[in-house]
Amino acid sequence: MNDRIIDEERQIIAPETLSTEYVNADSCAFHKSDKGFLAAEINGEKYDRVVLLRALPLTFPDEYICITDVERKELGIIEKISDFSPEQQELINDELSKRYFSPVITEIKSVKEKFGNFYFDVMLGDIKRNFTVKDLTKNIRYHGEGFDLIDVDGNRYRIIDYNGIPAKSRRKLEPYLY
Amino acid sequence: MSRKKERPGGPFGPQKNKNEKFHPALLEELNKAGLNTDSLLYCITGDMDAEQCYSSCWVSFDEKGLYLAFGTEELAKAGKHHTPVTPVFTVKEIRSIPIDDIDSLDTESYLSTGRLILAKDGVQEPVVWFSIGLVGKFADFAKVFNTYKETGEVQLPPEDGHEGSKCKKCGAPCPPGKEYCKKHTKSSATAVRLIKFFGGHVPEITVIVLVMVASSVAQVLIPQISTRSLYDNVLSNPNSLPQAELVKALGTLVLSIVGIRLLNMGLTILQQYMSATIMPKVMYDIKVKIFEAMQRLSVNYYSSKQTGALMDRVMRDANNIYWFFTDGIPRFIIDGATIIGVLVLMIRMNWRLSLVAVAAAPLLLVSIVLGDKLFRRMHHKVWVLSARTGSMLSDNINGQRVIKAFAKEDDEYDKFSAVSKDLRNAEVELAVTEATLFPILDIVVMFLSVFVLGYGGVMVARGDGTMTTGTLLSFIVYLEMLKEPFGFMAWVTNWWSRCADSATRVFEICDADPDITEKENAVSLDNIRGDVKINEVDFEYEPARPVIKNLSLEVKAGDMLGIVGKTGAGKTTIANLISRLYDPKAGSIEIDGVDARDLKLDSLRKNIGLVSQDIYLFIGSIADNIRYAKPDASMDEVIAASKAACAHDYIMKLPDAYETRIGAGGQRLSGGEKQRISIARTIIQNPKILILDEATAAMDTETERNIQHSLQQLSKGRTTISIAHRLSTLRDADYLAVIDHGSIVEYGRFNELIEQKGEFYKLYQIQTEALKTIAINDAAPDTAQGEEENSDERSDN
Repeated sequence: MNDRIIDEERQIIAPETLSTEYVNADSCAFHKSDKGFLAAEINGEKYDRVVLLRALPLTFPDEYICITDVERKELGIIEKISDFSPEQQELINDELSKRYFSPVITEIKSVKEKFGNFYFDVMLGDIKRNFTVKDLTKNIRYHGEGFDLIDVDGNRYRIIDYNGIPAKSRRKLEPYLY
Repeated sequence: MSRKKERPGGPFGPQKNKNEKFHPALLEELNKAGLNTDSLLYCITGDMDAEQCYSSCWVSFDEKGLYLAFGTEELAKAGKHHTPVTPVFTVKEIRSIPIDDIDSLDTESYLSTGRLILAKDGVQEPVVWFSIGLVGKFADFAKVFNTYKETGEVQLPPEDGHEGSKCKKCGAPCPPGKEYCKKHTKSSATAVRLIKFFGGHVPEITVIVLVMVASSVAQVLIPQISTRSLYDNVLSNPNSLPQAELVKALGTLVLSIVGIRLLNMGLTILQQYMSATIMPKVMYDIKVKIFEAMQRLSVNYYSSKQTGALMDRVMRDANNIYWFFTDGIPRFIIDGATIIGVLVLMIRMNWRLSLVAVAAAPLLLVSIVLGDKLFRRMHHKVWVLSARTGSMLSDNINGQRVIKAFAKEDDEYDKFSAVSKDLRNAEVELAVTEATLFPILDIVVMFLSVFVLGYGGVMVARGDGTMTTGTLLSFIVYLEMLKEPFGFMAWVTNWWSRCADSATRVFEICDADPDITEKENAVSLDNIRGDVKINEVDFEYEPARPVIKNLSLEVKAGDMLGIVGKTGAGKTTIANLISRLYDPKAGSIEIDGVDARDLKLDSLRKNIGLVSQDIYLFIGSIADNIRYAKPDASMDEVIAASKAACAHDYIMKLPDAYETRIGAGGQRLSGGEKQRISIARTIIQNPKILILDEATAAMDTETERNIQHSLQQLSKGRTTISIAHRLSTLRDADYLAVIDHGSIVEYGRFNELIEQKGEFYKLYQIQTEALKTIAINDAAPDTAQGEEENSDERSDN
């Protein structure tokens, strides 16, 4: 037995010889359960409730989606959401948008800094919201053309395209954005 | 644990628990919408609806059902500072779920939201969403509800400071115990607290302020003599005076100037000398106060803050305060006095010309303030990029071994170069802007001087005696003298903000309440037996993430309990709870039948020894470290303890033996050597209860075997709780408990657990197999063989 193990250990594992098996539209189908949770059938196995997790939530939010059960046991990985049918994509995106809930900032009414805390007064569409970010440089996550701001409670607020928000809003944030 | 039990009908009365009191206006609205609020047992406010949209949400339950009310809460426009605001509520929808349709409630946490979920007959159903900051509140709600379902009693959770309150001014979240958010907290309160540190030095401070004012007066007087008197009394008409008189007048002027300058210098030296003697004393008081507060705080505080940030607080924040009070305040007084003195003199000399100069002062201030705003952004950019460069440098130095192992020196150079380039560009931008814009300020002053010169010149030329050449030239000098103090005044607010920021952080430590406190009537156990009993303990580090769940264990005095489990099962948490580094959320831990919370901390911790995987040795000699728990221990005791811990032999091989300096910058010791010192240290402590927390986890098999002998020596006659991954270290345990996900899954004697063929057996099999595979049997026959023999022996019993 020892000899066999040693032989296996002697084999070189090169990165190019490794590959990840992904689930695709043929091997995986999602549906909503009666109670509104995302359920799935993966490789013939039925799961009443599955959890979707992004491997690269900031840079590739639509790729490398990990499917797990509620105990976080991995059931499979989706390489690209776009490989699925539009109906299936809707289910996947709906679940992901709920798990990675980040309301989008459309306008910055004011940003004030006091004692290292940044007090934001923003518009999320037509909803007014204020929140506090402690140490802006540590609580900002850049992605694509925008960034996420993380407040003192852990809530995330997203600016999808920084250049897309009004210039007046940008001028308010500009002094602190480095 | 003395938990308050509330009967129905209690949530709206005065109470010290976490049950929210709904606003009377809301209660009225809820009643109007058909909800009987008199019978509500427990209420909380959420911030989202069932579709994950922001909405005011009020969650409550009574004996009939669970109620979710959705609507809006608007704060009426705030009045003057610190005037409480009145909310206006609108209830749009109420959803009721009959209590019989719910078996239990639970919460789930996601990235920045959470969800309340109900369960009925094993089927889950989502109820409502909430922002992640409210997870503790909703978890408590679920717990209260579940307990009510089980027992019919409302057991309110204790106030634990998870939730902050809302600012009375703006409704923004603010830290627990505070009525206003930082935005609306006046920095004057911080200033008053800071000034209190100077309370013991009032006479010296008074003298310093007087000296500063005198120094400013002297400075302001100089142009009067050096310019005005010189021109008006001597130079304006030199031919009218005889030579001797002229020399005498000039001599007097020169001597006066020298005298005033010397006086000014003397006053400055006196002020600096006095400040230099007082400020270090005040700084000592502040630093000692922070250090004292830090010693008082519980381990939880240190776990949640980075060491660097804490060091920063003690050193950098204290220094920020020091420099503001040493440099900022004196300059503020001197410049303030200079501005006042100069303006008074200018008005006395010629009020018309003074009005012209004063009228231009706002222009000067506006240019300074605008310039400051611009430079602030640039300074911030430079500061952030500079911090980034510093972090990269530190990362690079710490990771040198890895960088070299992966041959990544060039890549690291490129990365550093790119960041440094950004910093360089930012610094260039700042310097160029400064070089361009600062002269503008000078130009403003120059124009002002030219205007004053022109207008004053006309006055002088008129020859009506309203203005002399000397007065006009003094005016120009005074205008120049005002430029710097005005600039400082515009900038000092920022400096004060930085100082107040540091002071707030310092006071935050001083004001922090330790989680672990000693009761007023705490008892002291001098001669404890060592019985340890854990009764139905629940514990969580973060809200809604339980680490220990309803755990009960008992260890009789002198017995050894082994705790086994996977990483993250909660083993170390049990050790922390027994040592009372944390308090359980529910249940109790008893030592000799007394609740640990009723014991004096000193008495408890003196009797509990902890040998853990993370060994910390202080800077000092080996002997000092060994007698840390008992500084008056004799050398006989130190040597005896070292021998018992198998440390003596290697200590004697060191050149300075027991006087070898260890800790940061001292003699480097191996993990095994350090652990033996820590065991000797615990032997000197002589605790009745010993906790071995993965004491040998980081050691190789041979060192572990040696240490094991030391540990056996140490645990003789003591109640021992040994936590280990490796079952070989638990061969002497009287009982073993297998922990998984914070609960006991198996409990019994070694052979019993093997026979059960459960979790422990699985672990045992895996380890035995692993030992065989890596041929440990050959390398260290005693260990593996010993373990097998041992297991055989136990199996036979």
